[in-house]
Amino acid sequence: MATSKSVIRPQGRITLQQRETLAGLAFISPWFIGFFIFTAGPMLLSLGLSFTNYDVLSPPDFIGIANYERLLQDPRLGMSLGNSIFYALLHVPLVMTVALGLALILNRVGKAAGFFRTAFYLPSVTPAVAIGTLWLWLLNPRVGLVNRGLELIGIAGPGWTTDPNWIKPGIVLMSLWSVGSTVILYLAALRNVPNELYEAARIDGANAWQQLLRVTIPMISGTLFFTMIINTIGSLQIFAEVYTMFFGNMNSGPASSAGLFYNIYLFRQAFEFLRMGYASAMAWLLFAIILILTIIQLRFSKRWVYYEGEG
Amino acid sequence: MTAVNEAGQLALQEKQMRRDLAKTVERFAFYSLLIFCTILFFAPFLWLLTASLKIRSEVFNSDLLPNPVAWENYIRVWQATPMLIWLKNSLLVGFLAAITVTISCGLIAFGFSYFRFKWRNTLFGLVLATMMLPGVVTMIPTFLIWNQLGLVNTHVPLWGSNIFGSAVYIFMIRQFYLSLPRELFEAARVDGASYFQIWRLIALPLTRTALIVVFIFEFKASWVDLVKPLIYLQRTDLYTLPLGLKSILDQFGQGGEMQWEIVLAASVIVTIPVIIIFFLGQRYFMDGIATTGLKG
Amino acid sequence: MWSFRSKQASHRFWTIITLLALMLGVFATVISAQDDVSGSLSVLGFNGETGDEIATVRVAQVRAAYPDLEISFTEGGLDEQQFLTSVASGTPPDVVYIDRAILSTYAIRGALIPLTDCIANQDIDMSQYRETAVNQVTVDGEVYGIPEFYNNIMLIINTKALDDAGLSVDDIDTSDWDSLVELNDALTRVEDGTLTRIGFDPKLPEFLPLWAMANGTALLSEDGRTAQLNDPRVVEALEFAHSLHETAGGRQPFIAFRDVWDFFGSQNQMVADQLGVFPMEQWYMNVLADVAPDAPLSFKPFTDRNGETISYATGSAWAMPRGSANQDAACAFMKTMTAPETWVAAAQARAEKRAEAGTINTGVYTANQVADEMIFGEIVQPSGNETFDNGVQTILAVQENAFAIPANPAGSEFRQAWMDAANRVLNGEQTAQEALDQAQQEAQAALDEAWSRSE
Repeated sequence: MATSKSVIRPQGRITLQQRETLAGLAFISPWFIGFFIFTAGPMLLSLGLSFTNYDVLSPPDFIGIANYERLLQDPRLGMSLGNSIFYALLHVPLVMTVALGLALILNRVGKAAGFFRTAFYLPSVTPAVAIGTLWLWLLNPRVGLVNRGLELIGIAGPGWTTDPNWIKPGIVLMSLWSVGSTVILYLAALRNVPNELYEAARIDGANAWQQLLRVTIPMISGTLFFTMIINTIGSLQIFAEVYTMFFGNMNSGPASSAGLFYNIYLFRQAFEFLRMGYASAMAWLLFAIILILTIIQLRFSKRWVYYEGEG
Repeated sequence: MTAVNEAGQLALQEKQMRRDLAKTVERFAFYSLLIFCTILFFAPFLWLLTASLKIRSEVFNSDLLPNPVAWENYIRVWQATPMLIWLKNSLLVGFLAAITVTISCGLIAFGFSYFRFKWRNTLFGLVLATMMLPGVVTMIPTFLIWNQLGLVNTHVPLWGSNIFGSAVYIFMIRQFYLSLPRELFEAARVDGASYFQIWRLIALPLTRTALIVVFIFEFKASWVDLVKPLIYLQRTDLYTLPLGLKSILDQFGQGGEMQWEIVLAASVIVTIPVIIIFFLGQRYFMDGIATTGLKG
Repeated sequence: MWSFRSKQASHRFWTIITLLALMLGVFATVISAQDDVSGSLSVLGFNGETGDEIATVRVAQVRAAYPDLEISFTEGGLDEQQFLTSVASGTPPDVVYIDRAILSTYAIRGALIPLTDCIANQDIDMSQYRETAVNQVTVDGEVYGIPEFYNNIMLIINTKALDDAGLSVDDIDTSDWDSLVELNDALTRVEDGTLTRIGFDPKLPEFLPLWAMANGTALLSEDGRTAQLNDPRVVEALEFAHSLHETAGGRQPFIAFRDVWDFFGSQNQMVADQLGVFPMEQWYMNVLADVAPDAPLSFKPFTDRNGETISYATGSAWAMPRGSANQDAACAFMKTMTAPETWVAAAQARAEKRAEAGTINTGVYTANQVADEMIFGEIVQPSGNETFDNGVQTILAVQENAFAIPANPAGSEFRQAWMDAANRVLNGEQTAQEALDQAQQEAQAALDEAWSRSE
């Protein structure tokens, strides 16, 4: 606290508190400028556009809440939103579990840790276009590596790219491959768990599983929570990989309903059907949904997230 | 006496042996698991690599090794596309995006952590709220802004807004600043250092690792981004690698003659530089993340 | 330069030079109306540098005709997002290469410039282009695009499969749908539960317009205003075409199998005996003639249920976006790319290339009738390979009976509506009636909205 100095402020000059406020504002001013130009401005503009019939090519006309009424009647909107939520419900817990498992393994590796970390992080730095192309073939029911692998253990693999029921699970599988960023975050969090806590737990007779539940998870719950929020937001916006796989030049039949995620449908409305106004309304709906979900997650977090500082 | 002693020693030895055995078994299990997982994660890459070296009619066969080895796939990619220019563009844009966001977020996060002022927490809440904003909401208006500035068809829109920071990174770096003892800064204040000097000379050097993490995360994000280049770049010589890869996919893959081996070879080329970068930087990267102590 | 040299030259030399210059001048006037065609020209959506010889030779022709013009290509297919944002920002390409089925959408919404002035200035003879194609790019009596290829559909037949089943080409009769089912059953091969040959591929969803027309109706009214997607004849056509997948065990094994064919390679599905019969565009005959000249093949027209030959014509066109910065050059480019001499030069290059490779030349099929007459009159000669010679004659005959989707302002959405409907049926998500009812509603709403906007 800077209280001790504030006592000796000279007359006629600004207080230390004011100085600190000004300096603080100066430091965050770049964000402020950016916020108005690249966030608030465009947001308001897009909110405005959502009340028009803008098609990018000609000037927009005001059409009231017609776009929002359309949202309610559009059968594809509900379907695509359902697809995205279904995906998020599968993706988020699985990514967190797999990433934690991998992080626990990697945390024990002594030699060649760099090699293994790189191996698991690699998919995350592979462009989505490459991932989409690659997995279209890995998931091919006849010749794909996935089903060949399953065959080795005696399982007849499903039609990942041909059966509408298996399209989304296939995409989740693909998404698990890019789990690297989350692994790295967990790995870092694991390093910060004090060893003494494990020792204490061992003395109390806790086995490995109990140590995981009672020490590890509570101690990294902050990071778990952070990744949960980030992954939820990200998974509801899945786009590029799936677009490359099923919606590029090849109009893939099986995925036309099952793989139509919210952002893909939004993209189509905006750029293929030239309904930028409607797409803007869709974007705002998604924003509202994400906001609500995040608030819910924040509320629930108080029950399970442990902050060191709060002791 | 000796008998008892011997028996005790034997029992001890046996215990020791059992413990060793258990340890070996456990270790064996652990390494098997590690190797199994690594293979699982590496297999797609291996498939990509070998398939990219196969001739067209064999791309999808089940052979592990390409026979004959079709190096010409790579030569064709190299000849048909300005890969080197795209690589240069990607590196340039990635570097600019990463360096600007690192510096600006370092500055902004300091503003949100060291100083105490009215509305600070409200403003910071606003920062966090922007994390939830789907990119598509602002995509077109942002495009119109860059267009007004006459910067469409340049690389500037791909990194320019990073000058003003980015919510996730502001959040990450702020966590780090908050973990530094405040006395450190106060001492400097007493010595007459300006706020900027405190940041520049004390805060910044101490957060070096955190800044490296931000740099690498943003470099990676820029490296794989497709949407921005797609909107802002129309000239082939300005393309970044993901956009270049998309045009290869359109030309040779789905939209073209389904020459998948060419698309796969291009995918390999696109992935290699960043593998090298990450492998070299991962040590600093790991330390950086560990010390930022992301605690939600 | 010339005048400087001529001062020292003999009288005879002078005469030759004058003559040459004169001829050059005439030649240049013939090729273009010779306004100022120079500067730079950006082209979007066309593989002008890395494409096949038909593309590159023609680009070379344009470059030779306009040496002062610097042409650059954004390769790959037309990306709608890229195109739209560039038009919206006022920095569009000078020329775009665009599917005729969606060209009208952009035209009606004002993203393209009518070519009326261009056609007048450059003196482009629109009567040389095929009417079906020109109609597709004509909106309110104004032409918005210069048609490029003219793709048409015929049956491509694997005669080995027929032989195996003890059938002949004469047994294939697309006018008799019951016999088609039998043919499909006879040609489909499933070994140990794995599909190893598809009997008859109906090419759904993309050829739904063909099946509907075979059953007597178009998907969209002539004036482009009324969708006819849930017409009972369309429903019946979709149901029937879809039923052809049953023998193969449904749509799923079919796709998994089809996705891994070496479609453009020498081990393609015809050579590898993985497909019996399918309706396909003629460009695929060109591919086969090149990579598999000895494959056991045959070609036959696709007929409607009355036995009349029909074909669904598709292709792209050249158009000029609003804000095109070099319109004179753009116009000259479009004219030259689609001029008979240019097409002939490209066809010639292909003929030479094929001769060198020892494969068969089956020509180029353009939307320019004059060019096609020259190509198939002079360049494409009977090759001695009866199969492909017959294929060439088949497709030339089929072209006369082609239909296309009429110009309309909701091209993409209209196409998406019927394609998705077909997909929903193929995926077993809806019946043909349900799917097409939904599609009809979507398509009609989109058409109404787009038309009301444009008026």
